[in-house]
Amino acid sequence: MPEQHDPEQELGPKITSAFQDHAGAQGMQNTGLAREARRRVHRRRQTMSMAAGAVLVVAAVGGVWGLVGDGSPVATSHSDSASEGKAAAPEQPSQGVAPNSERDKAGCPVQHPIQQAAAPNDVPTGTGLDLNTQVTGLRACRYSTGQGGLLGQQEFDAAVAQQVVDAIKVLPERNPDLPVFKCAPQVAKPSEAITLRFTTAAGTKEIWVVYDGCTSAGFFTGTHVYGLYSAPLKLFMTGSVRPSGGTYLSALKDW
Amino acid sequence: MEAVLAAAEVRTGPLDFEVWVTEKADALLRFAYVLTGDATLAEDAVQDALTTACARWGRVSRADDPEAYVKRMVVNAHISWWRRFRRRESPVDDPVRTARAVSDGTAARAEADAIWDLCATLPDKQRAAVVLRFYEELSYAEIAQLLHCAEATARSHVHRALAALKTTLSTEGAEDA
Repeated sequence: MPEQHDPEQELGPKITSAFQDHAGAQGMQNTGLAREARRRVHRRRQTMSMAAGAVLVVAAVGGVWGLVGDGSPVATSHSDSASEGKAAAPEQPSQGVAPNSERDKAGCPVQHPIQQAAAPNDVPTGTGLDLNTQVTGLRACRYSTGQGGLLGQQEFDAAVAQQVVDAIKVLPERNPDLPVFKCAPQVAKPSEAITLRFTTAAGTKEIWVVYDGCTSAGFFTGTHVYGLYSAPLKLFMTGSVRPSGGTYLSALKDW
Repeated sequence: MEAVLAAAEVRTGPLDFEVWVTEKADALLRFAYVLTGDATLAEDAVQDALTTACARWGRVSRADDPEAYVKRMVVNAHISWWRRFRRRESPVDDPVRTARAVSDGTAARAEADAIWDLCATLPDKQRAAVVLRFYEELSYAEIAQLLHCAEATARSHVHRALAALKTTLSTEGAEDA
């Protein structure tokens, strides 16, 4: 039987000896290790503190930004309407416009059926205004039919509200001076529209005003259609409710 | 009594770390040098381990054997993947003997040099296992714990290293003869 040699027993002492020989032969720097360790720990902690501080600052800035977000360029309905209204027409104090404190009592709904209406006269049943009804107030709400939401709003007193009703109810069913368009369905829908929300004894009643797109234009109550003329428009298209333009407005010229 | 308390306070205070490092620096550096085979790498590894130990000195100093604790840090640092990546290690297939035996009666010394050089060619974990086994004289269970592997794996590391060393030494011995 051949003799078995355990490599560990055979080489172990030689390896131990080799390690001990070489371990004693090196001349490494053995001073200042503790001081350097302390310095590194100090620096590491400083770096950590600075990083934590930076995170806190970022969080604080983010928090403040969130708090003042209403005034930020983020697309919110109110901020957009204010800025867009200014771009469309400088806001001027108009006769009959209610003071701010009254305006803020009940704003326009942020979402409105007019944004999704398939046809201009799809005023929900029961919400259209009967033009013979006495009105005591008016809030005009301008909506984008796309992603813009509520673009602007303006409140008027009872006198102006009644003037608007009176100016509309004498209008014919359509304005023959307006052009008739033939357009593709994708551009037929108006990009924006206005809801006139009248205060009546029976609650809020509406007239929809369509002046863009290429299918039809005018004042819609759900039961009646009145042609688009500039006389009523001049009464409520002020401030942020005044659009920068529209397909049919361009043809009206004097709105 | 107050003196005893003061001494105890000093033992756990900042000075304790300085004193301990002064006492143990040589041993730690020797160990790191055997482990790494390079003086610069050894100094780096010890400095890194001491930095880590300093940051948690309260716990390290309360350990049963703070020196073993710090040596473990040195081993961990040496075999960590990022440190190997930093060294751009490229292990060779077979150990190559770089020192030749001389015939002036210093054969033992030459053999020690040869073994040292051959150990430098071993992969990190094999070399660490060999160092822990024959320099630190640890058991395979302790080596396995330090290298984060099974005891059988630690044993395998040592035996493979020994086989490679034996083969190379035998071949070189035959050539010298």
